[in-house]
Amino acid sequence: MPGIRHNAVAVYNARIAFLGMLTFLLRLLRAAGFLFIAVFLLRAPTASATDWTAPEAQLASKIAAVSGPGAVALDITNRSSLGRSDFEDISRGLRSQLAVLGLQFVYADQAAATVQISLSEDLQNYVWVAQIHQGAGESSVVMISTPRSGAALAGQEAAAVVIHKALLWSQADRILDVAVVDGNPTHMVVLDANRVAIYRLQGDRWQPEQFLPLTHTRTWPRDLRGRLALRKDHLFDAYLPGVFCRSTASAPLGLNCYESDDPWPVGTDQFALSAFFTPSRNYFTGALAPGVGKQTTAPAFYSAAPLPREKYTLWMFTAVDGRVHLLDGITDQMAGKLGWGSDVASVHTNCGSGWDVLATGNGDGASDSLRAYDVPDREPVVASQPVQFRGPITALWTEANGNGAIAVSRNAETGDYEAFRLSFTCGQ
Amino acid sequence: MRRSGLALLVANSLLWLATAQAATRPRYGGTLRVAMGAVPSSLDPADAAQSGSLAGRNLSSLIFDTLVALDERGRPQPALAISWQAEPGNQRWQFKLRRGVTFQDGTPLTADYVAASLRVANPSWKISPAGDAVVTERDSPAPNLPAELALGRNGIAKRGGTQLLGTGPFAIHQQVAGKELTLAAYNDYWGGRPFADSIEIAMGQGFRDQMLSFDLGKADLIEVAPEQAHRAATEGRRVESSPPRELMALVFAREKASPDEGRLRQALGLSIDRGALSNVLLQGGGEPAGGVLPNWMTGYAFLFPTNADVPGARQARGEVRQASPWTLSYDASDPVARVVAERIALNAHDAGLQLQLTNSSTADLRLLRLPIASLDAGVALTALEADLGLPQSKLSGRSPEELYAAESMLLQSQRIISLLHLRTSYGMNATVRNWSEAPDGAWRLGDVWLGAEKP
Repeated sequence: MPGIRHNAVAVYNARIAFLGMLTFLLRLLRAAGFLFIAVFLLRAPTASATDWTAPEAQLASKIAAVSGPGAVALDITNRSSLGRSDFEDISRGLRSQLAVLGLQFVYADQAAATVQISLSEDLQNYVWVAQIHQGAGESSVVMISTPRSGAALAGQEAAAVVIHKALLWSQADRILDVAVVDGNPTHMVVLDANRVAIYRLQGDRWQPEQFLPLTHTRTWPRDLRGRLALRKDHLFDAYLPGVFCRSTASAPLGLNCYESDDPWPVGTDQFALSAFFTPSRNYFTGALAPGVGKQTTAPAFYSAAPLPREKYTLWMFTAVDGRVHLLDGITDQMAGKLGWGSDVASVHTNCGSGWDVLATGNGDGASDSLRAYDVPDREPVVASQPVQFRGPITALWTEANGNGAIAVSRNAETGDYEAFRLSFTCGQ
Repeated sequence: MRRSGLALLVANSLLWLATAQAATRPRYGGTLRVAMGAVPSSLDPADAAQSGSLAGRNLSSLIFDTLVALDERGRPQPALAISWQAEPGNQRWQFKLRRGVTFQDGTPLTADYVAASLRVANPSWKISPAGDAVVTERDSPAPNLPAELALGRNGIAKRGGTQLLGTGPFAIHQQVAGKELTLAAYNDYWGGRPFADSIEIAMGQGFRDQMLSFDLGKADLIEVAPEQAHRAATEGRRVESSPPRELMALVFAREKASPDEGRLRQALGLSIDRGALSNVLLQGGGEPAGGVLPNWMTGYAFLFPTNADVPGARQARGEVRQASPWTLSYDASDPVARVVAERIALNAHDAGLQLQLTNSSTADLRLLRLPIASLDAGVALTALEADLGLPQSKLSGRSPEELYAAESMLLQSQRIISLLHLRTSYGMNATVRNWSEAPDGAWRLGDVWLGAEKP
């Protein structure tokens, strides 16, 4: 019995001890996890990937050449756009490089010299300047420069609830349109002012496969626009102001461009409509082919979006006059002031009435936005939170199957054009 | 749940619609009405007086293109030249021209025209056409020649006859000397036709008149005095200000004649309270400047002290037994210059120096506004020296140390005392869209388009 009791007690106590230890360990792990996440979150946005060793060594060597080894008072100031993390890394690096060269760091009253280092910058470079004061003599100045990398991108903007944007491609040249050819492997076609580039998806990276120069004699207008249309009998057609290009069918691809006023496709595979583009401007003339019902003209417009109805298709046009026109095949109705930008695209979201209109927002400043609207009848109703872009949206086209859209924006910070593929979920 | 969420979204949306300024794709058409104070004596880019002023440079950049343009970071980029190459030693350069460019009368741009134009602006250069390229030979190494060719004075012009023609986005349409200039969009511009059909520029208008025109809806784009920019914005006007990029400085008419004169010049420099000039007189429309080039261009300008040191100034003054009064001239039509000159005279008086303000062209000192000519710091420094008739620094490369040494040397010559780097501010109404300036201050009016007053 005692043994049993002891045992029982022992078991009972042991269980408590075990559970307590487990709970403690779990708490510790959870706390460590929170700590890790907190440290990661604090660190991640400012984490530095740059190797500053070479400029640190260069400046340290210049300083030591003036000061010689000995006791110095060192002060380092950041006058540049470097973040705190980089600044701390560089400060540590400079101290250790200077220490290797025989400098010891002491307070000013014990120092033979004071060294004031300023991390500054000009338009192209970081400029690191050291002022060295020795005794009563004049101070010496030494400096080095090291190229500034492009401005680091801040963290990804939070996506809206139902619009998901995925960065497909970015480049310095203006992107006019992008088409993704799903398959194995997946390909991407990128149209810009000078060429059509074909990329192949390898792993999670786009690898260049072929570049097809656009040959034309026309001067492109400002706010250049262009559209890609994937085809069944050849890979794609490219429409540019006054120029039409057709690819060949098989690899290696060729591209044949010629001057043409052929109308551009403005709808989707399912809801096709073509419209004539003004060759020296940035808008469509309003002449439609074949037309919307009996209507073969619309006001001159920037973009169009089809909205299928039970017995007809309602077309929205963002007109050059700043208004949104609704053509149903018989009447041309003007929508009230919607505050939309000039680009719209319609997408099959399967939410609400099934098709939604994407409309650009304020693209006049350093950012732009895109929002989905449901159009149950003729009045658009907001259907999503706005999705933010880091610069004006310069192109917005529905993908051929109508299920997605391509948006291109010019990043106001980097100046690069960024093409996004937009997809949608509903019920959130 | 979904309904209430939707209702919230609708409410959000209404608020958003009420506050958002709807953006549209750029619109072609319309006339942009601009008012400015300057009255450029000539529109010829090679005219030194024209290229030395910010207004002159702005007008020039609308009408004329250069072979090379500088990007936001001061790096040479193709413009009328699509590529360039230097021979070893950087004395002989070849610039290959862009094809298909025409002057505003439809004449194709050729190497002959380019060479002839550059010779007018640079008489000492040896420039010759070579097929579809232009070859430039210099007496000494010119590593920064592409950046030099981006200077406004090197805009390519077709001279002869009565018309001055460029290849730029706008052509001169009508001109009433000293009063009005009308520019018309050039449809075949190689960089794309400008959005606006025309620009009407009213010249010779003071800041007050410009503001009046603006408030009466007679001007879309005006200059705003630096000290007025903050107030104009708080009164609800749309004001865009640049980074500080125009140097305001005192320039001595001649070299110092003796060490004593050097001490007096030092005393004057130490006596000036640049902080008060910047914060009080200009209401933040400028920044104190100890050096010639601003810190954002060089990264080292903070090394040049800007603080007033009145005891030091008095000590320097005290080391010289006799000091004759100096005369100081300023642009009487520039209200900013007048108040700055008056304050400097007071500061100098505190240090025991006498400055007499005058409008005479033979004054001992001139208070000048000197726009930074280029985003390339080396080119900007030598262009400034050239404008002031000072010996030009010989820069062999782009190291900041070399540039710092050259700028230090210029300041030690005591021909120039830097005071402020001024911002330029413009007021514009809501119709002016896509406004931007190049970092060197040049207007990019080809990109501007006119929207509805209330979108």
